[in-house]
Amino acid sequence: MSGRRSRPRQSASYSRITDDQINDLLPKLQALLPEARHQSNDRASAAKVLQETCSYIRSLHREVDDLSERLSELLAATDTNSPQAAVIRSLLM
Amino acid sequence: MAIWNTEGDLATNQGDRKRKRSELEYSRPLLRKWRTESEQRMYSVKLVEALRRVRRSTQAAAVRPRSRAVREAADRALAVAARGRTKWSRAILSSRNKIKQSRRRLPEAFPSLSRSKLIVATGDGCLSAGKKKSSPDLGSKAAILGRIVPGCQKLSFATLLEEASDYIAALEMQIRSMAALTAILSASGGGSSDAPAT
Repeated sequence: MSGRRSRPRQSASYSRITDDQINDLLPKLQALLPEARHQSNDRASAAKVLQETCSYIRSLHREVDDLSERLSELLAATDTNSPQAAVIRSLLM
Repeated sequence: MAIWNTEGDLATNQGDRKRKRSELEYSRPLLRKWRTESEQRMYSVKLVEALRRVRRSTQAAAVRPRSRAVREAADRALAVAARGRTKWSRAILSSRNKIKQSRRRLPEAFPSLSRSKLIVATGDGCLSAGKKKSSPDLGSKAAILGRIVPGCQKLSFATLLEEASDYIAALEMQIRSMAALTAILSASGGGSSDAPAT
């Protein structure tokens, strides 16, 4: 079984990766994903973990964009002369 | 500096710059740092300072690109909080300088795709326990992940996973911090004066 690797190792010359490393890191990555907190996923496939990771990071990006949007609106609100704007300005300055 | 001492192995971050990335065990305590209150507090301070700068710089200019400026300022503050230990943080900080010059070079993605295919293929036999999985599938997913995490396009699989883990933990802290700040500002701006913001 282990003799299946006919590819020369020199292609991975800039980093020696062992299967143990990959097997060790995937569960850690999986533990960070939100799905893992609901059900205890034991050794989900690498492809699935990668897929989940991509989707999760994308959703985190979207959330950050939303929050940036709201923060920028709040900043824009400080340009007015309302008393609320003065409060926000004093918090920011 | 107190938080570094609690993590133990990060106590001397000056002399540890040459620490090899082949040691995997450091990934755990590093991730925990993103969840500490002190780290979030420090980030929030940086975030507020960055927002002040954004407000000052965009007052004269158009109001439109402000959310983009806020996002970039928040990302930059997050990258600074990483203290240069991760590739994604260094990529964010360096990309700010060449933001108009070189956009994401898509042709570069293809060489990295074939590289990750080869690397993952050699490691795939162990993961799938006998059943031959489609290695291009794994390789292409790894390439996609490499494009999502900033500055991680040409990394090895193991390093990519490490970077992605740290990036996720950092993003979660960023979201917690920004949400708290938004709540405070919007509560004080729109609500009654005697209602305390959490």
